[in-house]
Amino acid sequence: MSAATIPTAPRAAGRWVLGVAALAALLAWPLLVEDEFIQRIGALVMLSALSASAWNLVGGYAGQISIGHVLFFGCGAYASLLGFTWFEWAPILGAPFGIATSLLLALIVGSPTLRLKGHYFSMATIALAELARIVVVNTPALGGAVGVSGPAMPRSVLDLSFISPLPYYYIFGSVLAVLLLFTWWMSRGRMGFYLRAIRGQERAARSLGVPAQRYKLFALLVSAAFTSLTGSLYAAMLGFVDPDSGLGILLSVKMVIAAALGGAGTLFGPLVGSAILVPLEEMTNAAFGGGGTGITYVVYGAIIVLISRFAPGGLAEIWTWLRARGTRRGG
Amino acid sequence: MADDAPLLEARDIVVAFGSFRAVDGASLAIRKGEIIGLIGPNGAGKSTFFNCLAGERQPASGSIMLRGRDVTRASPEDHALLGLARSWQVPAVFDDMSVHENVMVGAFLRHPHAAEAAAAADQVIDFTGLRPVARARSGSLGTPARKRLEIARALATEPEILLLDEALAGLTPTEVRAAIDLVRQIHARGITLVIVEHVMEVILSLAHRAVVFNQGKVIAQGAPRDVVQDPGVIEAYLGRSLSRKPPA
Amino acid sequence: MILAQVVLNGFLVGAVYALFSSGLTLIWGMMNVVNFAHGDFVMIAMYVAFVAFTMLHLGPAIFVPLAAIMLFLLGVLVYYALVRHVMRGPMLAQILGTFGLALVLRYATLWVFSANFVSLPENLLGEVQTFAGLRLEPSRVAAGLAALGLTIGLHLLLTHTALGSRLLAVAEDRSAAMLVGIRPDPMQALAWGLGAACTGVAGALIALFFYITPTVGESLALIAFVVVCLGGFGSVPGALVAGLAIGIIESLSAFWIGPAFKDLVVFILFLAVLWFRPQGLLGKA
Repeated sequence: MSAATIPTAPRAAGRWVLGVAALAALLAWPLLVEDEFIQRIGALVMLSALSASAWNLVGGYAGQISIGHVLFFGCGAYASLLGFTWFEWAPILGAPFGIATSLLLALIVGSPTLRLKGHYFSMATIALAELARIVVVNTPALGGAVGVSGPAMPRSVLDLSFISPLPYYYIFGSVLAVLLLFTWWMSRGRMGFYLRAIRGQERAARSLGVPAQRYKLFALLVSAAFTSLTGSLYAAMLGFVDPDSGLGILLSVKMVIAAALGGAGTLFGPLVGSAILVPLEEMTNAAFGGGGTGITYVVYGAIIVLISRFAPGGLAEIWTWLRARGTRRGG
Repeated sequence: MADDAPLLEARDIVVAFGSFRAVDGASLAIRKGEIIGLIGPNGAGKSTFFNCLAGERQPASGSIMLRGRDVTRASPEDHALLGLARSWQVPAVFDDMSVHENVMVGAFLRHPHAAEAAAAADQVIDFTGLRPVARARSGSLGTPARKRLEIARALATEPEILLLDEALAGLTPTEVRAAIDLVRQIHARGITLVIVEHVMEVILSLAHRAVVFNQGKVIAQGAPRDVVQDPGVIEAYLGRSLSRKPPA
Repeated sequence: MILAQVVLNGFLVGAVYALFSSGLTLIWGMMNVVNFAHGDFVMIAMYVAFVAFTMLHLGPAIFVPLAAIMLFLLGVLVYYALVRHVMRGPMLAQILGTFGLALVLRYATLWVFSANFVSLPENLLGEVQTFAGLRLEPSRVAAGLAALGLTIGLHLLLTHTALGSRLLAVAEDRSAAMLVGIRPDPMQALAWGLGAACTGVAGALIALFFYITPTVGESLALIAFVVVCLGGFGSVPGALVAGLAIGIIESLSAFWIGPAFKDLVVFILFLAVLWFRPQGLLGKA
C-alpha cells in the first residue's frame, strides 16, 4: 500500500479495538444465550459462512460464478459418512478423503471448465453438479436415492456428535477463522490482485503477465478443499446425507446468495450474508413448518433479484456508499 | 543475441477468418529503440497483425521472434514476461480497482512482494502524471485518464517494447499533445514502441518508420513523410488525403 | 419396430424442446444474456394449461394461446424490470438476476400448488391410435407437430419479415441499428416477449403429455442450454435440429441404458460440447 492509503494512527487503533471487540462478541455470545435453538442457528451461520467464504475465493475474488460448488460439498459429506458405513470410521476421518477427491475432481474438470467464460462457466458447473447427483442417486454403493447415515450413537469424542450446538459453533468458527485468515493474507498479496484483475478483464490481465488459468485453478483448488471440509463437518453434525441435502443445486445457490448478499469478493461478505440468511431460513421454516421451504426460497430468490438489480456489490457496496455519503456530509 | 538482431520480428504472418485472409503474408522487423507507426485504412489487417505481435492471437502460419525467441504460439502472459506490453483500443482497465491497484497488477510481474510492487507502481504513477487520481476507483475515470492508465499499467511490467493500440484516439488536441509528450518520455527511457494510430499527425511527429497495411499486406514502409506521398499508399486510402480525419 | 416407436417419441418431444430452446437462443443470440429462468417459464406455462383446464375447463385451443400471451407479457415485464438493468452490469448480477427469478417462480409455484405431480388427462385429444405398428398418442403427436410448425414459423418470422430484420439488426450491431433509427429497447423487449412466448406455447403443449411439478423447470432449463450450445448461440434452425436430436438421444438412452440415465447422457454431451467445441456443433467457427 502506498503511504497515502495507510490510515492515520488513531483510526488504525480504533479499528483494532473494534476488531477485538467483534471477535470477543463472536466468541462469547453463544455462552450468554441459553436457548439451544438460537445456538444451533449460530452454528449453522458459521457452517454457511464457511462454504460461502470458500465459494467466495472463486466466485467472488476471481469472479468465476460457480453454481456447482455443491459437488465439492457433497464429496466431503459423502466421504465422511461412507467412511463410517464402510469402515466404521469416525465421520471426520473421512474429511481428508473428501478433500482429496475434491482436489482431484477440481484438477480434472477445473481446467477445461475454467477456460469457459461468464455464463458458460456457470452452466457447466451446474451440469457437473447435476451429473454427480444423478450418478449418486443411481449408485446403490453410494447410498442411492436414500442416502447414508453416520453413527446412531456417539462412540467417542472423535465422532463429533454432541447434543449441544455449542461445540459445533466453535469448531466451525475456528475453521472459518483459518479460511478468513488465508483469504485476508491472499487478498493483500499478488494472488489477490491477480484474481481481481482476472475478474475485471481477463484478457487485459493476461497481457500484464497474469497467468490467468493457473491462478483460477489454484483458487478453485483451495476453494474446493474448504468446501469439501465444510461438507464433512456438516455430515458429522447432521449424521445423514442424501442426494438432495448433499448434492442438491439449492446448496450451491445458498453459497452464492450468502456471498452475494454480504458482498462477493469481500472478506466478511459471506459471513454477513450468512448471518442474515440462515436465521431467516430457520425462522420461516419454524413459522411455516414443511410448507416454509417454498416461502424461504421465494424470499431467497427475491433477495438475489433485488441485489443484482440494485446493488450488485451486495451489502458491502451499500455500506461503502453510505459511508462515502456520511464523509461528504461531515465535510 | 546479436546487437543488430531485431527486437521483435514477424515473418509471413497469415491470419484467416474462414476464406477471408485478414493478414496475408505480412512481415515486419523492429529494432531496439525504434518507434514504428502502423497505419492503413480500416479493415486493412493492422489491428489483427498487432494482436499477433502482442500474443493475443495466433497466426495460421508465419513466425514471430521476440528477443531471439520464437513466441508464435506463446501465451500473452509469456509475452509480458519476455518484456512486451500493450494497451487496448477500448480501454480495459480493472474498474473495481483504484488507479494505484491497477498499476500494481502490472508491477507484480517483476516485484512479487506487495510492498515492492506498490513502490514500483508509485514511480510509474508519478512518471505518467496520474498522481492526482491515484486513489480514485478507475471505473470512475474519463477516457483520457483511462487511456493513460492503460499505458501506466503496461509500463509497470517494465517492458522492452510497448505496443499502443490507438492510445490517442478520441482525445482532444490538447490531450493528444500531452500524450505525444508522454510517448516521447517513454521512448527516452529506452523503450521501443509500436503505435497503431489513425491520427496521421501523431505518426508524422512520433514515428521513425511508418508501416502501411492494405488488404492484409505491408504495401509500403519508410520515413513517415515519404510514405504518405507514396502513390500506392494514397491509392489505398482511395485518394483520401492523409489528413487527421480517420477514414470512416 | 420398438426402436421406431422410441425414435418417434423422441422426435415429438424433441420438437417441443426445439420450440422452447428457440426462445432461449433468440434472447441469448440477441443480447448475450442467458435466461436462467427459462425452464421455469416453461413450468409456469404448464401450470397455466393445468389451471385453465382443470379449473376453467378450457381446451387446448384456448389454453395454448393463453399461455403464449401470458408468458409474452411476463417476458416483456422481466426485460423492463430486471434484464435491462443487469445486462451491462457485472457477471454476478447478470447470472443472479435471472437465477433469482427462477427461484421465485419455482418456489412460489411450489407454495401454491405443492410439490405433488399433476398431469392433464391422457386422452384429452382422443384415444391412442395405431398406425403401421406405431402407437400414436394424439397429445404427443399434436404437441410435436405444433411445436415443429411454430419453430419453423419463428425462423420465418425472423428471416422473412420487416420486424424480424429489425430484431436481427439489433442483434447484429446495437449501435448501428440505432444509427438507422431502430430503438434497441423495444426490440429487445420484443425478443424477450417472443422468447417467453415460445416457452408459453411449448409449456402448454408439453403439459398435454408430461408430468407437471414445480421443479420440472430445472431439468428443462438444462435441456434448453444443451440444445442452444449444440445448435449454436442465436440460431433457430440450429435449435430445431439440436432439439430434435436431443429428444431422440434422450429417448434412445432411456430405452437402451435406462430412464434414470437419460439426463446423464444429455449432460455429458453438454459438457463435451462446452469443453471441446464451445461455439456449438452447428455454430460457426
